[in-house]
Amino acid sequence: MGCDCAGMMTRREMIQRLVTGATGSLLVWTFPALAAEGEDPRDRPLYAYAVDTTRCIGCCACMRACRAENDVPDGCFRTWIERYRVRANGEVLVDVAAGDDHVFEEDPVPDTVKAFFVPKLCNHCEKSVCSQVCPVGATYETPEGVVLVDQKRCIGCGYCVQACPYGTRFIHPTKHYADKCTLCYHRISRGELPACVLACPKGVRIFGDLHDPESRLSTMLKQRRYRVLKPEMGTHPKCYYLDLDFEVV
Amino acid sequence: MRSPSEPPESGPPPDYRHAYPVFLIMGGLLVVALAVRAWLVPETFGEFGYYRGAALDEAKVRTSRYLGRQACAECHDDVAALHAKDAHGSVECETCHGPGSAHVEDAENVLPRADRQQDCLVCHRRLDARPGSFPQIDRDEHFRLVGVTNAATACVRCHSGHEPLFMNKDLRTARLHPLIHACGDCHLGRQDQTLKQPAGHPQIFQCSYCHADVSASAAKAEHHAIACTTCHLFIKENAFSGRIVRDTDPRFCLLCHGQADFRSQDGPPLITWPGHLADVSEETPDPTRACVDCHQDQIHDLFEKEVSHGL
Repeated sequence: MGCDCAGMMTRREMIQRLVTGATGSLLVWTFPALAAEGEDPRDRPLYAYAVDTTRCIGCCACMRACRAENDVPDGCFRTWIERYRVRANGEVLVDVAAGDDHVFEEDPVPDTVKAFFVPKLCNHCEKSVCSQVCPVGATYETPEGVVLVDQKRCIGCGYCVQACPYGTRFIHPTKHYADKCTLCYHRISRGELPACVLACPKGVRIFGDLHDPESRLSTMLKQRRYRVLKPEMGTHPKCYYLDLDFEVV
Repeated sequence: MRSPSEPPESGPPPDYRHAYPVFLIMGGLLVVALAVRAWLVPETFGEFGYYRGAALDEAKVRTSRYLGRQACAECHDDVAALHAKDAHGSVECETCHGPGSAHVEDAENVLPRADRQQDCLVCHRRLDARPGSFPQIDRDEHFRLVGVTNAATACVRCHSGHEPLFMNKDLRTARLHPLIHACGDCHLGRQDQTLKQPAGHPQIFQCSYCHADVSASAAKAEHHAIACTTCHLFIKENAFSGRIVRDTDPRFCLLCHGQADFRSQDGPPLITWPGHLADVSEETPDPTRACVDCHQDQIHDLFEKEVSHGL
């Protein structure tokens, strides 16, 4: 079948162009961020967190501060401390501070050859699984790299709770939305430290800006050995553990 | 229907009226779609990414409850100054006392946490997972040593929470001892994390290694049962840490020898400091005197020789 109207659009072509144009303008209309250009993301802070596990004394002051600052409901944790105890036969025992006071008791384990505390919290992943699975866009990463939950938008389906490889999320028992560590977003956006960092008596928890090469966090990461939790999950966590032992997962 | 490739025929203009309903339906669907979208997609959604932009500001508006030590020092500058100099200087006020905002709203609302043993033991109970350099006690063992009979005695009866070491000097200048105290000082680059000294390891951390004369005299003196580190606290802060109590406040001795209603008479001999000063002084009691001015022989000979660092 020949075509003698060279240079003119066929109906198919016109529909294709119309659809492409409409989709494009609809996308830009929906997400103005796609059209934003010229802004250098390095001008903004990129908040991250480090945990110096060699200094932690397991006093759980961070947990108490977090609860008081953020009204964390009983039985739920935005941050917690795990105690690792390795026995002579290689057996690894892990427990958390039990009871209402969140205090570690002595509870000796025979033949312990190595023991240490590991504070845990949301890793504020660069490629956060939780925000990828959220069906309504309620979990998101702020321009400063903090992973937050939009409490008005969350429908409490719990996909993110299941998806998080670090177990840092929970469904709020009375308000029924997904809740988690916010890195005390209300505090850090005013230049204050997160409550857990402030309350830690031993300087275990280090909060800072990765884009600022002079920040204590950046210096620490240059000078110290560190690793992240579960790197094989591909989540690129921004919570760095200094001198962490391999037993910790 | 004609194919567009067919040449146009002459005759009346083509009649598209049959297509109007299609356009109407399509237009109607578009309006419905836009209306549904406007209803479903919240305002500011997509401003910064696939989320509601306004949520960022909503997350920022909350007030802080932990205010930091500067806020506490605005009213309690005297306590803050004492606290900053002592061993708890790195500990924020609110770590023990609870959030400052609660105290600002209601002055009575402050945790007197140190009144309870538990609140000191939260950090200082001996736990195998705590770093060995951090000061820790077994409460029962500690009470037995200092002769405390009532197991419920609060730590603050002897130790001030703000000045736990009763140190008058600046912490950095008071720590002058050049001893080696951490594995990492010899085993360079290794963290001091081992719980127990490995079997067969030479006993390099004995005080008598360098201070043979002192420890020999201490073995004969009345305090012979007490470990050197009971008085000479070696809190690892750096390679040159260690605290010598000789020139410090006489209250240090009163930690064990001060009269108190919770103490039995079977423990160490008990005195009250002003009473004791009045008893022994013929003239006006001088409160700046140190216990060791008179009682050195009950402790050990003074260390005078050059240390031989033969490690």
